[in-house]
Amino acid sequence: MKHSDSHHSRGFWAEAWRRYCRKPLALTALAFVALLLLVAMFAPAIAGTKPVLCRYKGRLYAPCLAYFDRRLEPAIFAKDKFRGTYPKNLAEKDPESWAIWPLVFQDPYRSVRDDEWPGRPANPARDEGRPSRINLFGTDQAGVDVFAKMVHGTTIALLVGFVSMGIAGTIGIVVGALGGYFGGWIDMLTSRVTEIVMCVPTLVLILAIMALLEKPTIWHTMAIIGATGWTGIARLTRGEFLRLRQSEFVTAARSVGAGPVRIMLRHILPNALAPILVPITFGIASAILTESSLSFLGFGPPPPSASWGSILNDARSNLSMWWLVVFPGIAIFLTVLAYNLIGEGLQEATDPRLREARK
Amino acid sequence: MPLLDIKNLVTAFHTPAGRVPAVDGVSLAIERGKTLGLVGESGCGKSVTAMSILRLVASPGVIESGEILLAKDGGSVDLTKLPEPDLRKIRGGRIGMIFQEPMTSLNPVFTIGDQIVEAVRLHKPVSREQARTKALEMLALVRLADPELRLDEYPHQLSGGMRQRVMIAMALACDPDLVIADEPTTALDVTIQAQILELLADLRRRLGTAILLITHDLGVVAETCDDVAVMYAGRIVERASAAELFAHPRHPYTIGLLAARPGPGGRHDGPLKTIPGMVPPPQHFPTGCRFHPRCAFARLPHCAEEAPSLRTVAAGHEARCHYADELSESDDLGEQRGAPA
Repeated sequence: MKHSDSHHSRGFWAEAWRRYCRKPLALTALAFVALLLLVAMFAPAIAGTKPVLCRYKGRLYAPCLAYFDRRLEPAIFAKDKFRGTYPKNLAEKDPESWAIWPLVFQDPYRSVRDDEWPGRPANPARDEGRPSRINLFGTDQAGVDVFAKMVHGTTIALLVGFVSMGIAGTIGIVVGALGGYFGGWIDMLTSRVTEIVMCVPTLVLILAIMALLEKPTIWHTMAIIGATGWTGIARLTRGEFLRLRQSEFVTAARSVGAGPVRIMLRHILPNALAPILVPITFGIASAILTESSLSFLGFGPPPPSASWGSILNDARSNLSMWWLVVFPGIAIFLTVLAYNLIGEGLQEATDPRLREARK
Repeated sequence: MPLLDIKNLVTAFHTPAGRVPAVDGVSLAIERGKTLGLVGESGCGKSVTAMSILRLVASPGVIESGEILLAKDGGSVDLTKLPEPDLRKIRGGRIGMIFQEPMTSLNPVFTIGDQIVEAVRLHKPVSREQARTKALEMLALVRLADPELRLDEYPHQLSGGMRQRVMIAMALACDPDLVIADEPTTALDVTIQAQILELLADLRRRLGTAILLITHDLGVVAETCDDVAVMYAGRIVERASAAELFAHPRHPYTIGLLAARPGPGGRHDGPLKTIPGMVPPPQHFPTGCRFHPRCAFARLPHCAEEAPSLRTVAAGHEARCHYADELSESDDLGEQRGAPA
């Protein structure tokens, strides 16, 4: 690069990132979420009863992917009647096989049976299932390992956050932008629609849909959270677009021949994005909390799918099993806290009024 | 045939307080390759006229009547009636615009290069690399130092004068026939102003672009314009070539403006001459001639009753005054008049 240091061009987001990095709490929160992301992505490799990678009858397979989607389990294992018990069957049916196992040999959906892992007894259940070396976070009523449940529940937690806010963000930005930029009757229409949707109670709607559908899944929950959670974002976007469409640079862009779509997407939106990202971040925390609350009440994704809230649901009838409360409780608390801190950090990093003097 | 012919343009703002005619029957003609200066005090409607040409007037402003004819393929096209997509091709393509505030006319989240490239690619089907080369050319044309470095810099890294050069580069990027410069130097200090004006004059010589220069500074007009139109309260009150206007002003307002300039060398005997009163707000235009309450030559009740029309008082020279013929160099207000330095 020909640029000398004094000419180093820093864009808006690079500057914001620098400011964000100066706050240790916000950075820690971001690191925590990054860790959660890693856990969610590598969940089958962290806790599971299926090999991460194995060589069987001359070919390589990755059975652990079945945890993401049942259809991904290699057919050969069904054919050879493995029935989910990999360690013994692999050794018996193909002496030359080898496997790389997950870090923790436990399953989020069922209890581990006697001698499934050579030399290890079945998971204890009920009150005997307190945290131990084998079951790091203990087991629930049915003997299912809590650690494995929580690791796989991370996927659900993060998915709920990102998908529902993805939906909410998209709808909110589009509705707000249209109203704010065009004004007139379009604005009236979008504002009224926003107000109507604001009155819809999210939790109750989810419960109603759950009752109506035969097979409600977590995707329905996410869709509803997204479809009802966009109103705050829309109002904020509308305000930003109203303010920015009067800017000189918008007039200058029009004078050069740019059309409305181009101006909205390319000129106004990047300038408006910073304040809009903040409620989206808070929305992720809120979505996770909503899903956990639903699961806690028993309205979450049906078993065997595990989410942190559903572990809490188990705890309701077994208050003596403190590990069923403490671990998922702390996890939910830390995650929601992390997202809130990130949102706050983002706000401070991008708000021009709160900025310190440029160094 | 003139390049741009504005005929009886009326642009009014429909506010809750009533209809405000900011531009009230303005007619202007700009010839190819020539510079027309539109002069007037703040609030006389010159900016609104300029914005009306490209239909950029902010709501609640509306172009109510009149025609804006742009020469095209031997004929002309009326910009007030052109459908929006066709108008977008003209904006930036055949008519470029330079705004008053360089500090805010550039998008803060994009580099200079991105913005010029966008201006080019909106009108010409070229690749990004070709557009970038053109952007570099334009930056060199407007004499911006270190164009390669500037291309990847953000607006906040440039000074006001440099940003104005970038705006000029953007406006000229597609070789327009006409450039509308809305007070391009008002926000800049005097030394930069001189440079920008010299640049505009040089570009006009080299590219043959016509310029509509809007300003309240008579000195700027004298230096750069071929023709001048003076505007007051939404109407053109005098129109002539620059040389003629400065030598023989024929409207009391123009005479007053010229007399109000400090003399060369800055020495005066006594206080500076001013035009008494203030520019009337559009809601309360005086009856008859709009200038008459401030006019030193007004003859009541005629001037208060009958609004004068713009009429020819000499070859290529029009004035909106009943008594224009009687105004001459021997008038009292002419003490400090004369051709500008």
